[in-house]
Amino acid sequence: MLSLHNVTKNFGGIKAVDGCSFEVKNNTITSLIGPNGAGKTTVFNIISGLTKPDGGSIKLLDKDITNLPPYKIAQSGISRTFQLTKIFRNMTIKDNLLIAKKTDDEEMKKALARVHLHKSLDTIASELSYGQQRLLEIARAVLREHKLLVLDEPTTGVNPKVRHELKVILRELKKAGNTVLLIEHDMEFVMDISDEVIVLTEGKVLKRGKPKDIVKDKEVLEAYLGK
Amino acid sequence: MIHDFFIQEFTFFFIYLIIVLSFNLAVGFTGMVNLGHMVFVGVGAYVSAILTLGGMQWYFALLLAGLISAALGILMAAVTSRLKGDYFQIVTLGVIFIAIAVSRNWVSLTRGALGLPGIPDIIKSNFYYMAFVGIVSVLFVLLFHWLVNSETGKIFQAIRDDETATAVLGKNTYFYKIFLMAISTFFAGIAGSLMAHQINFIDPSIFDLEQFIIILFMLIVGGLASIKGTIIGTLLLFVVIDALRFLVVAPEIIGPVRQMSLLIILLVVLIFRPRGLFGRVDV
Amino acid sequence: MPSILPQLVVNGLIAGSIYALAACGFALVYYVLKFQYFSHGAIISTAAYMSFLFLNLMGLNYVLAGILAIIVSLIAVLLSNWLVYRPMRKRKATPTTTLIASIVLLIFTSSLLLALFGSSTKTLALSNKNVTFDWGIFTITAIQISILILTLVLFFLLWLVMKKTRLGKAMRAIADNKDVAQIVGINPEKIYSYTFIISAVLGGVSGILIGLEQNLYPRMGVMIIIKGFIGSVIGGLGSVPGSIIGGLFIGLIENIGVWFLPTGYKDVISFSIMLLFLIFRPQGILGVKMRDDS
Repeated sequence: MLSLHNVTKNFGGIKAVDGCSFEVKNNTITSLIGPNGAGKTTVFNIISGLTKPDGGSIKLLDKDITNLPPYKIAQSGISRTFQLTKIFRNMTIKDNLLIAKKTDDEEMKKALARVHLHKSLDTIASELSYGQQRLLEIARAVLREHKLLVLDEPTTGVNPKVRHELKVILRELKKAGNTVLLIEHDMEFVMDISDEVIVLTEGKVLKRGKPKDIVKDKEVLEAYLGK
Repeated sequence: MIHDFFIQEFTFFFIYLIIVLSFNLAVGFTGMVNLGHMVFVGVGAYVSAILTLGGMQWYFALLLAGLISAALGILMAAVTSRLKGDYFQIVTLGVIFIAIAVSRNWVSLTRGALGLPGIPDIIKSNFYYMAFVGIVSVLFVLLFHWLVNSETGKIFQAIRDDETATAVLGKNTYFYKIFLMAISTFFAGIAGSLMAHQINFIDPSIFDLEQFIIILFMLIVGGLASIKGTIIGTLLLFVVIDALRFLVVAPEIIGPVRQMSLLIILLVVLIFRPRGLFGRVDV
Repeated sequence: MPSILPQLVVNGLIAGSIYALAACGFALVYYVLKFQYFSHGAIISTAAYMSFLFLNLMGLNYVLAGILAIIVSLIAVLLSNWLVYRPMRKRKATPTTTLIASIVLLIFTSSLLLALFGSSTKTLALSNKNVTFDWGIFTITAIQISILILTLVLFFLLWLVMKKTRLGKAMRAIADNKDVAQIVGINPEKIYSYTFIISAVLGGVSGILIGLEQNLYPRMGVMIIIKGFIGSVIGGLGSVPGSIIGGLFIGLIENIGVWFLPTGYKDVISFSIMLLFLIFRPQGILGVKMRDDS
């Protein structure tokens, strides 16, 4: 579905991303993990076009999306959420969803049901709790035509109940045919939900594999705990 | 006599309404204050004046005033689209100073500080001109209202709330911002033309900060992103100015006194209620 | 090279010093308080008109008139902080809103001066006693020499304060990171007051010097702060040394440029250069990174 090949990005002498290559397979939930500063958010920004890479290429299915502007990448089929939710705070839920897709109330209500968000369409987004805003952002990302969902730390800052709902939601999304790539720090969440785990350190891929293998891997532990 | 007074007041009211609405369109929906808005009004005024003085028909001149202002607006939007925060502010201020410098120095075109007098009337009758201007302003109000509630309007609001999020949802925000500027500056240019043909005179003072402060007053006191707010804000300006006519002061200080009164009100609003009376967003 | 060049350079340095002095007060407040402080122009024109009041109208001797003018400027700046800027900070006004308020104050002051003193141009009594020195390749007046000396002295004092005193360090701390500065015990409001006071001294002297070198008219504050602003942008908006460099640069370019273009285009020169910088190098000569909303 998505492939990165030798992507690099420098920020004034610091190699944030240093020859990063990996693939995300169709209809899987793939998690990108790694210690702080490993370059995960930079990779996400490069994938969604908010940052231009210095080198390397990114392909969505067979289309090269490497240097496209963010809106063209979105139109190509990537729907992204952010670590600090970027919903339209001054607009209603309905309007938030309208921007994603011009559709009727019925489909919007279904989108909200998919993320277990039980609020009326006329609610102003700023009135929602933080967890609900997170769910709205996901609903919005899912509602629009997309091939790949890219979620940046969906569980950060939410309570255990919402975290559990997110697991259910992600599984349901996978069953419905979606492909998901996420950044996560919550190891329990990652190990429970992922089909594949990619470990990023110092800007490149250290290891990739099934959750149960990654959890036992010595090199991964060293990367997190230091030698 | 009183009849004439009201006709004149209403004509100016409608003209300023168009100016402030076009200003509101730009500011209320991008969240960024274009300090140089009067430049587009002034350009429209000068274009229309120069063309009609050169013999062109008023309807062509009016249209060209709008189109040339819009072209400049698009240029400015394209140049500033990547700029954020303070950089944008500076460029808009810079545009004012450049407009002042050009209008003062390109004497062959603008007669410099002397200005262009004798600009022909569009419609001889003051009453019918007022009606004409009134119709244009009503049309613009309707357009504004339609725009705000349309799908495009929602996208403008989304861009104002969070441009990155809007882009990531697949919208070409660059295009939308330029489109918005084009509409806003088009009407600013039209209003400038209407003003030039009303006063029958134009000079570089239209670009001055003092003029800008007046439309700022109407915009901020009325409130951003709200049609009702702009109408009330514009009305309030005229009410305050007319009320001040009854104040007995020496004639040489009436001008500054009027300006200071407006400024104090504006300052109070800025400090205590920057959203204005009916505003839906903060500056 | 034309023989007039040395004279143009001298004129340029004089104008440049005036602009630089006007600009650095503006830049100082932007540096510490993070908003475009256009009402600095109001302080400049207030000082100029107050020296007119004390010198011409009240006949005081010029040292006393100067000191009183500066004192009135200090009162004006503290009033504007107390009545306008501090309430806005308390209500979390955005920098844009504060910028608008400062423009309002600027125009309010020019209206007030117009109402109080009338629209005719005024000349400070001291200007009549000016002496011109002719050194062959250029001429310079006593007032102009004083301008050069005074601005140098003031820049040096400013540098001393900013780099060597505790106040200066505190100001830089607040400018760098207000929250962290508070944690180490610096009181922002106190520092803001001092920043305004220092800027008022710089602006006040600037106003008096402008009044001596050029004439007084109600809109002078608006005109001079525009030049100061342009200089600050060109030098690098976030930086005080940048504003000084930018101001000098503008003064020199304007006066040397006049040799190539008719005098009326003086203003166009500075505006155009500012535009070029904004398009190609918005961070100015010193390359200062500015506040950015992203």
